[in-house]
Amino acid sequence: MPGAPVEALQGVPLFAELDRHEVEQIARLFKERRFNQGETVIREGSGGAAFFLIDSGRAKVTLGGKELARLEEGDYFGEIALIDGGPRSATIIAESDLVCFGLTYWDFGPLVQDNGLIAWKLLQSMARELRTAQQSLVFMAAPSTGPAEGAQS
Amino acid sequence: MNDAVVLAEASDTGLFGSKAVGLGDAIRKGIPVPPGVALSAAVVEGAAAGDEDVIRNVTALVAPLQTPLAVRSSAVDEDGADASFAGQHLTLLNVTSAAEVIPALAEVWWSANSDSAITYRQRVGLFTRPLVGVVVQTLLDPDSAGVMFTRNPVSGADERVIEASWGLGEAVVAGLVIPDHYRIDRSGEVLERKPGRKRVAIRPVPTGGTVEEKVPVELTEKLCLDDDQLEELHELALRCEQVYGPARDVEWAFAAGKLYLLQCRAVTRA
Repeated sequence: MPGAPVEALQGVPLFAELDRHEVEQIARLFKERRFNQGETVIREGSGGAAFFLIDSGRAKVTLGGKELARLEEGDYFGEIALIDGGPRSATIIAESDLVCFGLTYWDFGPLVQDNGLIAWKLLQSMARELRTAQQSLVFMAAPSTGPAEGAQS
Repeated sequence: MNDAVVLAEASDTGLFGSKAVGLGDAIRKGIPVPPGVALSAAVVEGAAAGDEDVIRNVTALVAPLQTPLAVRSSAVDEDGADASFAGQHLTLLNVTSAAEVIPALAEVWWSANSDSAITYRQRVGLFTRPLVGVVVQTLLDPDSAGVMFTRNPVSGADERVIEASWGLGEAVVAGLVIPDHYRIDRSGEVLERKPGRKRVAIRPVPTGGTVEEKVPVELTEKLCLDDDQLEELHELALRCEQVYGPARDVEWAFAAGKLYLLQCRAVTRA
């Protein structure tokens, strides 16, 4: 059956609240996309309307020219574009021939709009991700609490 | 499957896009066009999605075409979309078999959904689902090819302007050569023949794709069109104006001594 592997999608945080049947509906909307070694898959600041799950191959993530991470089979990127079509937050370059499953904003949007339960679960996943991000920001912004500076209440 | 037809039956721009229907119009009016088929946006998307019925039907429709093949996008979602999306939607030259058309369709579909195409669409206020049909045609191996404006696009003068080079016309379109430059008045009289500097020619290669081939030095500044061919092009300009209207931008090719129309659209510069 065409589409992306359900098990791999169940590992994507955005889809974490969905049951298997719901993930299967999303999986069927994916299409295979191939990139050549060295090809820029997505570019920081560029518009985007697709989310990708890597089926095989390797890629690297860069921001401002600095390498941040490496990606391989089962990794994914671009999920925020599924919601807002907004600019890409990093650049991803194929380090080998890369086979991905891609899902576009145009296919994902109607499914969510027609299914309130899926929409609600996605909101819960996004809220959880937002809370995690906020906690990270709070942690980074907080002054050091080492013994020399005394205890804080 | 009426959303996948031979080019002569492509008549609905809402299904197949203006490029496919333009070529269908040409065939119906007796203008020579390389044999081909038109695929609707839904068929292209179905093939990209791996729909087995669609793949089977497309493969059967394409199979009679002589290979190699050219797979060209034909945008269907906005007026003048072919011109608007020139450079955004992919064209694949020298696809070597009917089976290879299917991954080519996926590439065309993704090219319309690529980040660069989406960025362009956002910039021009078209953040809508891209719909892209496809024309699959026998790829010519032309002796010479290029573009012709049925009216001078710079001065507006009522004369044909032809730019020509050796091999596939992509060398002219992509600016890889300084093409020969010709002007012909409305009566058919040649007003100007100016040789270019045609150092490369784009040719199909047997394994698929194309290659930039070095042009022998004695041909680089030799005119690639003779007077008979210029007359044929002048007649093609007249036919295109009759079929499509005035001020057309025509892509053409001479292969095995025969002139073919590859594309005809309205001049977008004036």
